[in-house]
Amino acid sequence: MSKKFTAVNWNTPENDYALLFWEQNIKQFWIDTEYIPSKDIDSWKRISPEIKEAYKKALGGLTLLDTLQSHTGMPKIIDHITCLQNKAVLSYMCMMEAIHAKSYSTIFSTVSSTAEINEIFSWVEENKHLQFKAATIDAFYRAIDKENPTDEEVYMAIAASVLLESFLFYSGFFLPLWLCGQGEMVASADIIKKIIADESIHGIFVGLIGQDIFKKLPNQAAVKERVIALLHHLYENELKYTEEVYTEVGLTADVKEYVRYNANKALMNLGFDAIFEVKQVNPIVLNGLNTETTQHDFFSKKSTNYEKSTEIVHLKNEDFEMDATVNI
Amino acid sequence: MSVNTGALSWILLNNEIMIKHEDEFSLHKDKEAVRAYFLEYVNKNTVFFYTLKEKIDYLIEQNYYVNFYEFFSFEEMERVYKFVFDKKFRFQSFMSAFKFFQSYALRDDSGEKFLERYEDRVVAVSLFLARKEGVEKALEYAEIFINQEYQPATPTFLNAGKKRSGELVSCFLDEIGDNLNGIGYAVDSAMKLSSIGGGVSFNISKIRARGEAIKGVEGRAGGVLPIMKIMEDTFSYANQLGQRPGAGAVYLNIFHTDIEEFLDCKKINVDEKVRIKSLSIGIIVPDKFMELAEKDEACYLIHPHTVMQEYGTYFDDMDMDKMYDELINNPRIKKKKINARHLLVKIAQTQKESGYPYIFFKENANRHHALNGVGKVKFSNLCTEIMQISEVSDINIYGEEDTIRYGISCNLGSLNIATVMDNKRMAQTIKTAMRALTVVSDETDIKMVPSIAKANKELHSVGLGAMNLHGYLAKNFIMYESDEALDFANTFFMMMNYYSLEASMEIAKERKRTFVGFEKSAYADGTYFDAYTSREYAPQTDRVKELFEGVNIPSSADWANLKAAVKEHGIFHAYRLAIAPNQSTSYIMNATASVMPIVDIIEVREYGDSTTYYPMPYLTNDNYFYFKSAYDMDQMKVLRLISVIQRHIDQGVSTILHTNSKDTTRDLSKYYIYAHKLGLKSLYYTRTRKSSIDECVSCSA
Repeated sequence: MSKKFTAVNWNTPENDYALLFWEQNIKQFWIDTEYIPSKDIDSWKRISPEIKEAYKKALGGLTLLDTLQSHTGMPKIIDHITCLQNKAVLSYMCMMEAIHAKSYSTIFSTVSSTAEINEIFSWVEENKHLQFKAATIDAFYRAIDKENPTDEEVYMAIAASVLLESFLFYSGFFLPLWLCGQGEMVASADIIKKIIADESIHGIFVGLIGQDIFKKLPNQAAVKERVIALLHHLYENELKYTEEVYTEVGLTADVKEYVRYNANKALMNLGFDAIFEVKQVNPIVLNGLNTETTQHDFFSKKSTNYEKSTEIVHLKNEDFEMDATVNI
Repeated sequence: MSVNTGALSWILLNNEIMIKHEDEFSLHKDKEAVRAYFLEYVNKNTVFFYTLKEKIDYLIEQNYYVNFYEFFSFEEMERVYKFVFDKKFRFQSFMSAFKFFQSYALRDDSGEKFLERYEDRVVAVSLFLARKEGVEKALEYAEIFINQEYQPATPTFLNAGKKRSGELVSCFLDEIGDNLNGIGYAVDSAMKLSSIGGGVSFNISKIRARGEAIKGVEGRAGGVLPIMKIMEDTFSYANQLGQRPGAGAVYLNIFHTDIEEFLDCKKINVDEKVRIKSLSIGIIVPDKFMELAEKDEACYLIHPHTVMQEYGTYFDDMDMDKMYDELINNPRIKKKKINARHLLVKIAQTQKESGYPYIFFKENANRHHALNGVGKVKFSNLCTEIMQISEVSDINIYGEEDTIRYGISCNLGSLNIATVMDNKRMAQTIKTAMRALTVVSDETDIKMVPSIAKANKELHSVGLGAMNLHGYLAKNFIMYESDEALDFANTFFMMMNYYSLEASMEIAKERKRTFVGFEKSAYADGTYFDAYTSREYAPQTDRVKELFEGVNIPSSADWANLKAAVKEHGIFHAYRLAIAPNQSTSYIMNATASVMPIVDIIEVREYGDSTTYYPMPYLTNDNYFYFKSAYDMDQMKVLRLISVIQRHIDQGVSTILHTNSKDTTRDLSKYYIYAHKLGLKSLYYTRTRKSSIDECVSCSA
């Protein structure tokens, strides 16, 4: 008996969120070359060598995570999602992850020399904490690289993906946001902010899919414990990674607090309660995260507020019938 | 300021405004931020002088200031300094202080130390503007500056009094002729004007379209896009000593065949070769187009070069109401059929994606234009408030005389509505402001671009604007969208018109000289005054009557007297009023920008060089309600208020539409239709507030 192939049918909603996320994703579409990181060249010259070093490492680390996510994470998960509309949204997100991974290079190639860039990419390959992150997450992705993985295996891969998107990225995002809040590397931060806006909806969406599967699991308590254990495992590593990148610039404590803040957010995306106590996240970075509308001066920078318009509504005769008298 | 390790305390404090305690923002943190900024940064980085004499002498000897001793004695200068410092000025918010020191205060050549405080800048500008009129005038200028009643535009406030500085004028416009000499002149002008700090705007509607003939060979012309590319690169190359990026705009007539390509250049996913990133774009919309859209009749785009060959004039200079039918019936004119409504929607779509294009309603701008006897207004500037006559110059090869016609030059400044109203000094402030603007025009001579120099020399145009409208209304418990706001605007801007005209007449009388072409204007034949001699503009509502208590409001009889005086003496300025968007300067004034509504109770401001949190001026727990965000307002009501202001402004009003992500292209198009019907002359950017995904999920769940 041959397998039946089904076509994705957007006319019938399969759940109440796939279309919503599809549209939000399309609206947020962007590509790296819209932005003008070359405006940051002066700023790059101005910031201290220690910060430069940390900045390059932060971006190098982010590149690795986005590469993993677009080349392995998303494709493997898509394989085992049954809802076709969800699959479509995930494919789109996968494509955006590839744009993210490339956009760090756009920033690099604008401010750094080829030698420096190569140095960072080999640092990425050599750094044991970074490699640990990638390997840990990758193991969960590889576990579902087969015909019929169990629900638990699929769930764990999804949970790993949420931890990656909502938690592990943020030690890298900290520095660009912190610098931008003080007026440095602002044009490059425009790109970073677009990535954060994407990652935030990716984390929520994948989290929602995860919650659907979680409901079907017979051994929920045990699986939840596995997720929390994984989080702690990654958290210990993240602290060491943070120390390595940020100690010389004196930001370690702030970044660690930020890491805990985002670990909580990842848990919430998965439908769990927060486990870390967070006192005060650096307000400059927290405010930088607010992706609602900001005011800007069109002449000095590009806005991150505009979105691709997906819906075209045409004019009708009655639209021209307006009373334009003002009685004053 | 170099960022090394550890965040700067004042930035941290300013960011802490956003932390909420019991549902209220920590507004007091802003005052702490100002204090920390002064104690830990400004004071530590300011050069100290033992005496005033030492300071003045140092600044002059070290080539920072012009030699003020040529115009004033030390004692005279001391009077002005004392007057200003005795006012005990204090910045009301961190944003104001930060913006001033970041962008305006004079620094030493190393860029490390400040040589000026706010008061010093005010004195330097006052002395410079009054240097030929004497110390009494300097005191008058200083008073309106330090009272924050009037604020000159950035180029004037930044540069006046400095020995090594850019020009005092902000804004230039010119036409481009359809030949290589004309294009070369424009590129050359763009580079020079941009390098002296101006925002430059060009009308590119006369350029032949893509695929038109060159020297009779069809299919050779590249259209407007390649010129836009050159312009974009020119502006980014010629910045003001690296201080700020050059800025420019181009306008295209909506009937030009390249219009669709022109709009597409701002799309997100478009080929790099035709993508325009930093150049601003605007469209020129004649009434005829809106009529075709309303009637839903076929609309034809026109190939400009075929019109030139057939009629010997540029199609962009033609009156489309009269000529459109002639052009579409003439088989020798090449054209392309489109659907006007679809084009409106395409404009809306482009605005949703990029904020552009600006829209200039050509006939609205010319309907009550006082200089119709001299020429037509054809396009606008980078901020869509400048609207003056222009005509393309004929540029020839070396050795042959060029025919230079009018470009456009305009220098700007804004009244602070709140302080002017509170101090009840409207007549005096407006007249002094007009003098300050006139001095700038007198002193300006942009020799390197003769069409601009000619316009300034003969027309003396200035643009007095206003800021803090929303702040003033909110402070007085008036909603921005209310009828009382309309009532206030109708009286206030009538008075601005009256006193600026009176000032212009007085200057003409003193100098025994009017602008060139006055005798052909509606000021000379008196028709300009019909709207004012036929009715009263005094306030009608009780609330607004209270605000104007103790203020003399010009009546129709006063207007009739002014009409007679203008007829006798003429006026000095071809154009007087223009409401600019004034961004940076409104921060220094602790005012809401221009006549636009606020965007947020605490504005998050991103500049190329910083992110700052700015609580709205006068905001308290009592008047919170009146600080309604523009994004939550009915845009139709905003447009209605602007239309009342526009009645009294001889040039334009920069008008921003604030929309939400969920607004459709149809919603936007309806705003354009309404704005056009209200008689608005232009629309500036469209800003969009994103819906965050939390909002979406909670709505659908």
